[in-house]
Amino acid sequence: MPMPRGRRQTELAMLVFAVVVVLFAYASVGLSMTGRIPAGIVVYGIAFTVLMLLAHVAIRWLAPWADPLMLPLAALLNGLGIVMIYRLQQSGRDGNSGRVINTMTTSSTALQVVWSTVGVAAFIAVLAVIRQPRTLQRYTYTFGVIGLVLLAIPALLPASLSEVNGAKVWISIGGFSVQPGEFAKLALAVFFAGYLVAKRDVLSLAGRRVLGIDLPRARDLGPVLIAWGASLLILIFETDIGQSALFFGMFLAMLYIATQRTSWLLIGGALFVSGAYVASQLFAHVGERVTIWLHPFAAQNVYTSSYQLVQGLYGMGFGGVLGTGLGNGQPYWTPLVQSDFIITAFGEELGLTGLMAILLIYGLIVQRGLRAAVAVRDPFSKLLAGGLAFVLALQVFVIVGGVTRLIPLTGITTPFLSQGGSSLVASWMLIALLMRISDTARRPAPQPIQEEGLTQVVRGG
Amino acid sequence: MNHALRRISLVILGMFILLLLSVNFVQGFQPASLAAQRGNARTFSQQYQFQRGSIVTADNKVIAESVHVKGIYSYQRHYPFPTTYAPVTGYDSLYSATGIEQAEDKFLSGNDPQLTVHNLIDLITGKPKRGATVQLTVNSAAQTAAYNALKASGLPSGAVAMDPKTGAILALASYPTFNPNKYATFNSAQLRQIDNHYRSERSQPLLNRAINQTFPPGSTFKVVTSSTAFTSGKYNPDTRVYAPTNLKLPGTTKELINFDNLPCDDGSNPTGNGTVPLIFGFTVSCNTVFGNLGMKLGDTPIRQQAVKFGMNDPNLRIPLPVSASVYPPIPGHDPALTAYSAIGQYNDQVTPLQEAMFSAAIANNGTLMTPYMVQKVTAPDLTPLSTAQSTVLSQAVSPTVAADVSRMMVNVVKSPQGTAHNTAFLPNIAIAAKTGTAQNGANNTGLDDAVFTCFAPVGNPQIAVGVIVKGGGLGADASAPIAVKIIQAYLASQAKQ
Repeated sequence: MPMPRGRRQTELAMLVFAVVVVLFAYASVGLSMTGRIPAGIVVYGIAFTVLMLLAHVAIRWLAPWADPLMLPLAALLNGLGIVMIYRLQQSGRDGNSGRVINTMTTSSTALQVVWSTVGVAAFIAVLAVIRQPRTLQRYTYTFGVIGLVLLAIPALLPASLSEVNGAKVWISIGGFSVQPGEFAKLALAVFFAGYLVAKRDVLSLAGRRVLGIDLPRARDLGPVLIAWGASLLILIFETDIGQSALFFGMFLAMLYIATQRTSWLLIGGALFVSGAYVASQLFAHVGERVTIWLHPFAAQNVYTSSYQLVQGLYGMGFGGVLGTGLGNGQPYWTPLVQSDFIITAFGEELGLTGLMAILLIYGLIVQRGLRAAVAVRDPFSKLLAGGLAFVLALQVFVIVGGVTRLIPLTGITTPFLSQGGSSLVASWMLIALLMRISDTARRPAPQPIQEEGLTQVVRGG
Repeated sequence: MNHALRRISLVILGMFILLLLSVNFVQGFQPASLAAQRGNARTFSQQYQFQRGSIVTADNKVIAESVHVKGIYSYQRHYPFPTTYAPVTGYDSLYSATGIEQAEDKFLSGNDPQLTVHNLIDLITGKPKRGATVQLTVNSAAQTAAYNALKASGLPSGAVAMDPKTGAILALASYPTFNPNKYATFNSAQLRQIDNHYRSERSQPLLNRAINQTFPPGSTFKVVTSSTAFTSGKYNPDTRVYAPTNLKLPGTTKELINFDNLPCDDGSNPTGNGTVPLIFGFTVSCNTVFGNLGMKLGDTPIRQQAVKFGMNDPNLRIPLPVSASVYPPIPGHDPALTAYSAIGQYNDQVTPLQEAMFSAAIANNGTLMTPYMVQKVTAPDLTPLSTAQSTVLSQAVSPTVAADVSRMMVNVVKSPQGTAHNTAFLPNIAIAAKTGTAQNGANNTGLDDAVFTCFAPVGNPQIAVGVIVKGGGLGADASAPIAVKIIQAYLASQAKQ
C-alpha cells in the first residue's frame, strides 16, 4: 500500500500561482486607473505573500494531510477582494476618474489587509488549538450558548451600538464594528453537529406515513420548531433576512444529513416559506424586498428602494461577457458596492467570464469540504464538515442570487471578498475547520509495527 | 450519512448551476436591455470615459475637442470657438446631441463598425479607446467672416458658402446662436437650466437659420424664372419682354408693381407700356417683367426648374438634415399667384443654403453638386476611414442656359444700374449676383427680408454664397456686404496657400 501523500508541494505551487494572479490584478488596477503600477504593490505584495506563506507553513506543521486546494482558493478570493477594495477606494481619488465612494476611506485597503492578517492568524489558531475535530463535540452545548449569545447581542443592544445601514446585526463601539452573527454561524454549526449526532437516532424514527413520506414523531418536532422560531426572531429583531435564512438552511441541511429523512427538509422548507411569507405581509422591510425583486425597474422603485439592486444589475450588464477590465468600469454608481454588492463590481470589471471563474472557485471550496465530509469517519466531523460546506454554498447562493435577481435580495456578505473584518475572519476560521477535518480524514492510520521479511505476528486476545 | 451528503452535494450543485445560469442571463443576454433602462448612469457617462474624437475645419482648426478633466467623467467636451461654429458642431450634452456631434456620433464616439478592429487592437495593446477625428469642409476664414458679419447686422440671419465645383460647404453661420460649451456641463440641473433658457429665448438661438429656417426668396427667385425661360428656348437675355409700370393681374383687382412703384425703363420704354431686354429687367429687378414672364411660362415648368435647383426636397442631408425649400403647388394654376411666385413671393420659401445652391449651379455650368460638410474621417491611428466624394445632385440647367443666367448675374453687379453695383462691386474680384428684398408679414407690413445669392470670381468660380437677413430691408444693402466679406475672406485664405 503506497503512502498517501500530503500534497503540500502541490499546495505551495498553487498558492504561488494564486498570489501571482492577485499581484497581476493589483498592478492591472493601477495601470488602468493611473497608467502606473501602484506604489503600494511592494508593501501590500510582500505582506500578502508573507501572510499566505505563513498559512502554508502552519499547515505543513499543524495539518500536513489536509486538502491542498483550499488554502490557494481562499488566498485567491481574499487577494482579489483586497484588490477590488483598493480599486473602489481609489475611484474619484488621486486624479482617478469616477465618483469618490464616500462610504470608503483611503485606509480601507490597509484595513482589509490588517483584517486578512487577523483572519490568517485565526486560521492558524484554529488549526493549532483544535488538533482533533472530535474534541469540539465535548463542548456542544457551550457552543450552542455562545452562538445564541452572539446572535442575541445586537438585538439586545441599543440601536446606536448595533445598527448600521438599517441592519441591526453589529456590535459597534467607537468606530470599531464586529458582526457577531458571522461567528455565531460557526458556533451554531458545531452545536448542531454535536446535538444532531447525539439525537439522530431518535430524530430518524418514523411516525405516521403520509403520501409516501415518513413523517417524524410529533414530539421530535421540538428542535426544528426552536430553530425556526430563532431564525424568525433574528428576522424580526435584527431586520436581517439573509442571516436568518442562512441559520435555518444550515440547520435543515445538517438535520437531513444526520437523519436522512426527506420529510425534515419538506417540513422545514414549508415552515421557512410560510414564516417568510407571513413576515413579508407583517413587516414592511421584508415586504419591500419582495417588491423590489419583482419590480426593480418600476418608476416608483428605481430611484429609491431598488436603486442599489438596479445599479448593480446595470453594472453587471455594462461589464457584459468580457468585462471592462479592472479599474475601467463604473462600479461607484452602486451604493455600498464594497460590501454586499462587491460581486457586481467583479461582474462589471471582470465580466461574465471572471464572475463564473469566481463562482467556480467557491464551488471548488465547497466541493473539497464535502469531500472531506464524505471521507472522514467520525459522524460528528462528517456532519460538521457537511454543514460548514453547505452554509458556505448557501451564503454564496443567497448573495449572488440576490444581486442577480434570482431570489429576493437580502443583505449578506460575500465570503472573503466583501469589505469587513468579521466576515473575513469567520471565513478563514471556516476554512481552518474544513482543513482540520480533511486532515483527519486523509491522515494515514498508524502503521502497524512490522519488520521487513517477517511474518506479521497477530496477537490473539 | 454519506448517502445524504451526496444528496446535499447534488442540491449544492443545483444551486451553483442556478447561479451560473443567472449570471449568464444578466451578463450574456440582458446587457442591451439593461443599458436602455431608465436611470442607467453608466450608459450615458460611458462616452465621457474616453476621448471623443475632435471636429476640425478644412484648414485644421480644432472646433470641438475632448479635454481631460478630474471627477466622475474623464473627458469633457470643449468648443474653442463656440458661437462661430455652433450651427456646425451643434452640442454634445449628457442626454442629447445636435449638429455634427449627432450626425457623426458613431465616428466621434468610436462606435462605428469600421472602428471595431482599431478598438480591439487598442484593447489588446492597453491603449484607451478614442474616437475618430472628423474633418469638415468648412474654411475657418470664411466661417469667421460669415459669423462676424451676421453678428454685426444684429438681426436674425443665416449665411452659407459652398464650393460650386464640389458642393463642399465652406461656411455655415447663423445668428443669434448659442454657446455649446454650456451644454458640455456634467451638472444635470445646470444643463436643464441652460436648455430651458435657450428654448424659451424669443430669439431662438438653437435654430440653425442657415439650413433649418426658410424665408421668402424675393427677387433672387428670378434666377429660377430666367432659367425656366431660357430652357424653354423661346428666350435669351436680349429678348425684349413686356415691361409695364403696373402689371394687371387676371382675376383680381390687384396690380403688380415694381420696387417703389418705379417704371422699368432703360430708355427704350418711355411710355411704361412697351418692352425692355430681359437682361435689363433682371439687372434692375423689374417685378412686372418677371411676373408677366411667369404667367407666360406657367407654374408647372417653373416648379420643375425649381426642383432641379434642389427645392421641394425634404430629404437633403449635409449630413445635418436640411429643411426643404419649397415652391408650393399653386391652386388651380392661378395666373396671379403664378406671377407672384415667379418673383419669389406668395408661398415660396428658401433656406440660405438654397440661395447658395442657386448660384452654385449657375457657376458650375448648370451642374448642381450635392452640398456636403464632412471631408474626411480619420481613425485615432491616422488611417483614413472615409473621404468625401463629390456627387452631382442634379443638372439644374444646360451649360448654355447657365452661361446666359451668369451673364445677367454679372450685370447685376457690374452695370452701374445693377441692384448690387453699389454694395458688391469690387475692383479686384468679379462677383455675379442677384439681390432679393422679400416682402412678408400680413399685407406686407413686416420688415422686408434681405436676400442675396452670388458666386465669385466670375471667370473661375470658387465660392457661391447665400445670405438672408430677416428684416434687413434691401438685399443689396443688408445681405450683399455680408456675402462680399465671406468671399473676400475665403479668397484671401486660398491665395495664402
